[in-house]
Amino acid sequence: MSRADGCFHCALPVPASCDLTVDIDGESHPVCCPGCKAVAELIRDTGMARYYELRDAPAPGVGRPAEEAAEWRVFDSAEMLDAFSERHDDSREATIYVGGMYCSACSWLIETTLGRQPGVRSAEVNPITHRLRLRFDDAGARLSGFLATLASLGYQPQPLSPESTTRPEVAEQRTALKRLLVASLGMMQVMMFAVGLYSMDYQGIDPDMQHFLRLVSFFVTTPVVFYAAKPFFTGAWRGIVARKPGMDLPVSIAVGAAYAASVYATFTRGEAVWFDSVTMFVFFLTLGRFLEMRARHRSIDRSAALSTLLPNTATRIDESGHAVVPVSQLQRGDRLLVRAGESIPADGEVVWGTTSADESLLTGEARPKSKIAGDGLVAGSINVDGMIEMVVTSTGSDTTLGTISRLSERARYARPGFVTLADRVASYIVVALLVVAAAVAVFWYFADPDRAFVITLSVLVVTCPCALALATPAAFAAAGSRLSQLRLLVTNGNALESLSRATLAIFDKTGTLTMGMPRITAVFVIDNAWTEKDCRLIAAALEHASTHPLASAFALPDVLPAVSDEKVHVGQGVSGTIDGREWRIGNADFVGGGAHAEDAVSTHVFLGVEGNVVAWFDLEDELRPDARTMINAVRSLGLDVALVSGDNRLAVETVAAALGIEDRYAECRPEDKLRIIEEAQRRGERVIMIGDGINDAPVLAGADTSIAPAHGALLAQTSADVIMLGESLAPVTTAVQMARKTMRIVRQNLAWAIVYNTLALPLAAAGFVPPWAAAIGMSASSLIVVLNALRLNRFE
Amino acid sequence: MNILYVLIPLALLLLGLAVWAFFWAVGSGQFDDLDTPAMRVVMDDDSKPKEDEPS
Repeated sequence: MSRADGCFHCALPVPASCDLTVDIDGESHPVCCPGCKAVAELIRDTGMARYYELRDAPAPGVGRPAEEAAEWRVFDSAEMLDAFSERHDDSREATIYVGGMYCSACSWLIETTLGRQPGVRSAEVNPITHRLRLRFDDAGARLSGFLATLASLGYQPQPLSPESTTRPEVAEQRTALKRLLVASLGMMQVMMFAVGLYSMDYQGIDPDMQHFLRLVSFFVTTPVVFYAAKPFFTGAWRGIVARKPGMDLPVSIAVGAAYAASVYATFTRGEAVWFDSVTMFVFFLTLGRFLEMRARHRSIDRSAALSTLLPNTATRIDESGHAVVPVSQLQRGDRLLVRAGESIPADGEVVWGTTSADESLLTGEARPKSKIAGDGLVAGSINVDGMIEMVVTSTGSDTTLGTISRLSERARYARPGFVTLADRVASYIVVALLVVAAAVAVFWYFADPDRAFVITLSVLVVTCPCALALATPAAFAAAGSRLSQLRLLVTNGNALESLSRATLAIFDKTGTLTMGMPRITAVFVIDNAWTEKDCRLIAAALEHASTHPLASAFALPDVLPAVSDEKVHVGQGVSGTIDGREWRIGNADFVGGGAHAEDAVSTHVFLGVEGNVVAWFDLEDELRPDARTMINAVRSLGLDVALVSGDNRLAVETVAAALGIEDRYAECRPEDKLRIIEEAQRRGERVIMIGDGINDAPVLAGADTSIAPAHGALLAQTSADVIMLGESLAPVTTAVQMARKTMRIVRQNLAWAIVYNTLALPLAAAGFVPPWAAAIGMSASSLIVVLNALRLNRFE
Repeated sequence: MNILYVLIPLALLLLGLAVWAFFWAVGSGQFDDLDTPAMRVVMDDDSKPKEDEPS
């Protein structure tokens, strides 16, 4: 791996000034910082270098060294241990949400690392739910050690209280699996008996054996009907109560009636039984439901992801001194101490001290804002450089962060066109089916009362809208699993439908089309006493001390002049003494005043000595290398492309011109972006929004479909429908193509289901189809639908 | 044919056993994550440089 590929561990660009490497399997790989080096070495030294071969996505960046993770200690007290873990005899079990995990390799790394810690009985990670189930010895148990290990690997651990860990989806999936198994095993058994029964019909019959086989079939079918098919009955009843009959109603009538009639026939030694049809019917329906549920559960639960933005603990100032408390115990009015580098645990107000806060989480603005006593602080933002005391004004879901996440949640559910195609037609078809079945029953009751029941049953079974019901979920499930192989996570099942119909792709600029990392594009030297090289070196030396996001642009690999007395002036710049003269770098006023250059394409940073401006630097955000290809590919799919950005007009114009985008909007606040999207929607456009900023969270939710890169802000991901893993932009087109293909398959499936039903219905109504043939026809039609959907797995 | 009167109940018994075993497996969470175990086979850590050292 070369430098150009970025850090071996986290894939971020390696600064030119950094020549750290890590040796793995005799090869040396560049890393971007000592933190990544430490993590990579930890992974290597524990014999887990295979992680790098197996992972899909780069690691979540630098962990915190274990010794710095004193904040976890708070979880060691007896009462916290009880609150976050459950005791079983001599062991405990805790569930920990692990933020920053994207692939199975991560779960392997976590499991193996923790599994080797003393006292750990077992560690199981579910990469889909991001939850780690950890069993450890009760004696001498220290949760803090495990949390610190996770943190040092670069993940964000978050212990969950036992109540919040029993997720309804898990229970739902388990029950559905059980039902599916009962239905499938029951079907197989009953089929076997049915073969016996039919062949006996042919070859002459031993009445006792026939009765015996029917009885056995009855025993097997009973749990299938009452256990496996239970959801259909409850669903049908709910539909009746709500006066909105769903597909469950005809299904329940068919299953219930066929079962009741078969039971009656069994015990009165009647003409025929339909246990085989009943079980087959139930099995295929249950299978359809199961597939649909799996597709739905792919919607990843990101509710806990948000809380990882907040620190786990805070330092509360009491009369008695400082106490480290979990964030969940904070209350309004609490006085907190926040050190430099920590995140703000709750919304509040500065009461003492000055600092600057990085609120990029909420605003997307990378520049820290200066904060003095009386200024508001936002939970989740980072206290960059000063120690402050704050008073809590709101906590938890009342904070700005909580509100935004709730808002985007709401916007997501209020989205138009949410109902899928099958849902829309299902109700009509169901009512139509019931009417037809009733008509058939009445007709045959007068024409031939003996056959009336059998024929009505056949009609209900053969026209079962299973193929119709399976058409969409089967295709979505197949598409979802294929897309995750193509490094796209679909978090919203309906995203594929809206993606396939998209007409307009709106891109955010910073961090999406551009790298989001500024670089020096030009240096203007005013004072001829200095060369450009001098200026660059001095700037690099001064900015070396700064944590400001722009500072990284100045880094140079050369030997830098020595700086003394360096001081970071919050919101202004950096000053320092080089060769006995005071140098300053920062904004114009700070450096020398007066030297304003009104040109807003790029950010200007001024360098001056003793009050005189020497030079200024133009900093610009670079385009991603594949941005142009991707925009062209999106166009060739027939989509219009637009660019919206919060940046100034010139910067946006430059990017738009470079990419050939005509439709561009600059200086947009989040509200403006949302308005642009809504206007487009009113024009009849179907909008895909691609963005990564936190600012875009409500905007993403407002678009028909939203795509966020995995390296973007967490909050954006919580409201995105599709998450792109990896740095490349190419998945945008893949997603659209895949969505179109999926919808094509869905349409084929629906068309087939309708053709089948319209052909089968008259035949069954005319009495040509016995129930067993009806069940086979129904199953075959469903099978075709599933097989057709599976073609999506071969999508390239 | 009379052997069927024995064999079929026997089959049902086995069926019951299979269902019970499966319910137990589902209940103990073995089917909760169907993605990672497939990877786990590939992930045998054959390189253990520091395994022998006391940790």
